[in-house]
Amino acid sequence: MTILDIIIQQLTNGLILGSFYSLVALGYSMVYGIIKLLNFAHGDIYMVGAFVGFVILSFVSTLLGDGWLGILPSMILAMTAVGFLGVLIQRIAYRPLLSAPRLSILIVAVGVSLVLFNSVMVVTIGEYKAFPSGLGYEGITMGHVHITYTQMVMVGATAVLMIALHLFIAKTIYGKAMRAISIDMDACRLMGIDVNKIIALTFFVGSSLAAAAGVMAGVYYGSIHFFMGFVIGLKAFTSAVIGGIGSIPGAMLGGLLLGLLESFGTQLPWVGTEWKDVFAFGLLILLLVFKPTGILGRTEIERM
Amino acid sequence: MAEPSTPPPAAAATSGLAGLEERLFVFFDKRSRRRLVQGLLVLAAVSIPLVGDSYLLEILTNSFFYIVLCLGLNIVVGYAGLLDLGYAAFFAVGAYTTGILTSQFDWNFWLTIPAAVFFSIIAGVIIGGPTLRLRSDYLAIVTLGFGEITRIAARNLKELTGGASGLIGINRPSFFGLELNQIHHYYYVFFILVLLAVFVSFRLQHSRLGRAWQYVREDEDAAEAMGIDRVAVKLYAYVIGAVFAGVAGCFFAGKMTAISPETFQFMQSATILMAVVLGGMGKIPGMIVGALALILFPEIFREIGSVRMLVFGVVLVMMMIFRPQGIWPERRN
Amino acid sequence: MKRIGLLLTMTALAALLAAGPAAAEIKVGIMVPTTGSEATYGKDMENAIKMAVDEINAKGGVLGRKIATFTGDDGCDPQMATAAASKIVSANVDAVVGGYCSGATLPTLKIYADAAVPIVIPAANSTKFIDLNPGNAFLINSIGTYQVDTAVGLFKKLGVKKIAIVHQGDGYSEDLASLTQKEWTKMGNEVVAFEVVNKGEQDHSALVTRIKSKAPELVFWTAYYADGALIIKQLRQGGYNGKIAVGDGSTDAKLMEIAGKAAEGVYALANPLPEFLGEGQKFIDAYKAKFKTSPGPYSALSYDGMHLLADAIQRAGSTDKNKIAAALKATQGFKGLSGPVTFTDKNLLARSNFVVLVVKGGKFTLVN
Repeated sequence: MTILDIIIQQLTNGLILGSFYSLVALGYSMVYGIIKLLNFAHGDIYMVGAFVGFVILSFVSTLLGDGWLGILPSMILAMTAVGFLGVLIQRIAYRPLLSAPRLSILIVAVGVSLVLFNSVMVVTIGEYKAFPSGLGYEGITMGHVHITYTQMVMVGATAVLMIALHLFIAKTIYGKAMRAISIDMDACRLMGIDVNKIIALTFFVGSSLAAAAGVMAGVYYGSIHFFMGFVIGLKAFTSAVIGGIGSIPGAMLGGLLLGLLESFGTQLPWVGTEWKDVFAFGLLILLLVFKPTGILGRTEIERM
Repeated sequence: MAEPSTPPPAAAATSGLAGLEERLFVFFDKRSRRRLVQGLLVLAAVSIPLVGDSYLLEILTNSFFYIVLCLGLNIVVGYAGLLDLGYAAFFAVGAYTTGILTSQFDWNFWLTIPAAVFFSIIAGVIIGGPTLRLRSDYLAIVTLGFGEITRIAARNLKELTGGASGLIGINRPSFFGLELNQIHHYYYVFFILVLLAVFVSFRLQHSRLGRAWQYVREDEDAAEAMGIDRVAVKLYAYVIGAVFAGVAGCFFAGKMTAISPETFQFMQSATILMAVVLGGMGKIPGMIVGALALILFPEIFREIGSVRMLVFGVVLVMMMIFRPQGIWPERRN
Repeated sequence: MKRIGLLLTMTALAALLAAGPAAAEIKVGIMVPTTGSEATYGKDMENAIKMAVDEINAKGGVLGRKIATFTGDDGCDPQMATAAASKIVSANVDAVVGGYCSGATLPTLKIYADAAVPIVIPAANSTKFIDLNPGNAFLINSIGTYQVDTAVGLFKKLGVKKIAIVHQGDGYSEDLASLTQKEWTKMGNEVVAFEVVNKGEQDHSALVTRIKSKAPELVFWTAYYADGALIIKQLRQGGYNGKIAVGDGSTDAKLMEIAGKAAEGVYALANPLPEFLGEGQKFIDAYKAKFKTSPGPYSALSYDGMHLLADAIQRAGSTDKNKIAAALKATQGFKGLSGPVTFTDKNLLARSNFVVLVVKGGKFTLVN
């Protein structure tokens, strides 16, 4: 492979990886933006999304086959189901603690993460599950570079979801309410906005996006397991911070950027695949220390 | 001081359990009675090896080890109010210091302890120094990241750490010519560590620094306005917590004779944190109860095995919502 | 603590009722992971050992005494394993069969040695056992170095020169990977890439590009099937057309389930799987009838381990622990399901039991 081949190949790989990071990062950023909660369980929501998609597709594929015709409705169903799970979690675990010290709600988030993670582990007896999708790896080959149709659809689907989210936030009344709450929750309450409803909606949308990423990961990689959410949760958080936490375009940008950085970083002869995660976390720490507001984040005066 | 004759109005409405708590408090309020109970507990702990089998001793030694770790993390989370999700990294620093120095440089076990203290302080300053200025939730994720970096580094620095297989065949410590190789030796060693840790924790809690931590935890800005250097105070908590874990790690390496990066995964940090929260953040007896509960519960209810962490997760969430002070009740005065 | 005592009393009582006078029983400890990520393997081993015990008891036991088992869960974790070993020793067992994860088994050897309890290890096979065996452990699975010999033998036969090795960052797969690297370069060949991936990672695209850019003729994956299947799939997806070989940890039907058609033509090293053994089919049928599931990759070895132990106790003529150990050491060509057992002076299996398989039509088939 020539250097150019490697660059094109890694550009594709980085975009795919970045798409997953972005979709998960959006949930982090939205929830953080609105209630200043670092939702530790968000990576596990992605994992649960993959498993819900797995169960649904197992049934749907007998009717509609295991191609895109079966995958698309399964994905939408999984997004809806996991969206409601997100709302449920928010209702049970987070809402009672919204006014409690920050430490309490953070610990609860860790607890929720453990519950989700271990529930799936118990149900699956810790086994990896083969995702029942039947997409081939036909695609376009240019020299040594191979790009499959599935990869193109993945990037396309991510773009569609992001545009939809952008329109939702920018154009609808709910989006407006979300933006308002992130600026001043108490004022919103006084203005008659049903704050609890909007927070629930935020969790719904964030969780759905994570579920979409989970199902897509299942389809794309072909195998899912109970701890697939841990590392991606950390990476997605890193992405959200890179872009500026609380900022929606920031999360999108941060995800893609981290995906590309990782893809190219690991091709450097002196980095190697074994230091890949150190690279990502190191970047996160440096960013948090030197530019905690990220690329597109607002400057924060409040201190906690 | 609660007076038995005139219960406070709130107590009248509380459930039977809370009433019992109240009565226990009244009972233990006398210093002499508390001393008596403490003395009896120590006596019981000292005499267990005379009657218990090696399995019981193994489990209790393991509990002692977690009590020390919990007391250390308690300084960070309970006293100073900083969420640390990578505490296992400090425990790894201690364990690897002892492992590497004894097996590759032929150091005496006891000499590795000051070295481990030194490296724990360095690690605490490196991790804490730049990050303690951050908001608490950022700090949580940074510590998580550092925990992972430490584990991956331990796995990749093969020449020094033995890579993924870790260090095997670490020499056991000797004490005045007696090689510590029986489980009851370690039972007493870790028991002494617990006593030391309790003593240090107690003194810290009631020191000037302890009060400063409390102010910073309750209201950071107010504390700063009162002339407390909030970053320095947090850094002290962080570094002292690191030293607790580092020293515990030395003895862990000596007892197990084998360490590998897998021991220091995120789950290890989460487990310790869980014990701290369950026991009751900031309370020394709470740490003992929390660590004991964490180790004994799965041993007694062996069948639940894999459901263990699930149960703990649920308990953790419910605890924070319904009883944020933990198992050990709050002292009221 | 009362509860444990009660539990123990009740178990003892139950055993008493089931098998007559308790004093006549020979107690065998089983140490396998029955919880955690490796629980499936552990259960398969425990089942096979219990099946062997039932067979022995049905024939009247050993020395006229029935065998009773006592399981300790090592969770494939060194900390849990030391607790499990203490538990087993405290239960006053006469001998132990068990040990799946090398990392968890190694720290327990000392505990067993202190109590003079002999242990037959059916699965764990790290080369670290050579130096750290206090003398009471008997390994009936070929240790890693034999697998390396089989591996480089295979590579040579396939006529490749440049290979890439990938492991998963755990003790077992790292050991196999670096030993293979050493052996292969010593033979004058080239290892063009030596990589590691994290357990559970899903995206291996960076690894695939790195491997493709080094153009090896063969990729050797030394870890387990779950992640191996993903890597095989992504290597093929990414357009890698060279050969692929996997170590024994990946030789599992699930490899084909996850990797699908990408697994075709993959070479796999294996411990004696029951389906390729002479008496194997009979064992598989009996196992399936009893446990309603297929035996795992280490079931046959575990089954052999228990029978070997019973044989040694018979030969020792008593349950004196030192005599059992001596009888185990003196084993000469014990006929197990997975082949004859004789030990070296280090108590290791004195032969290689590795075979080479290849995936054909979605199934493992034996390569001669």
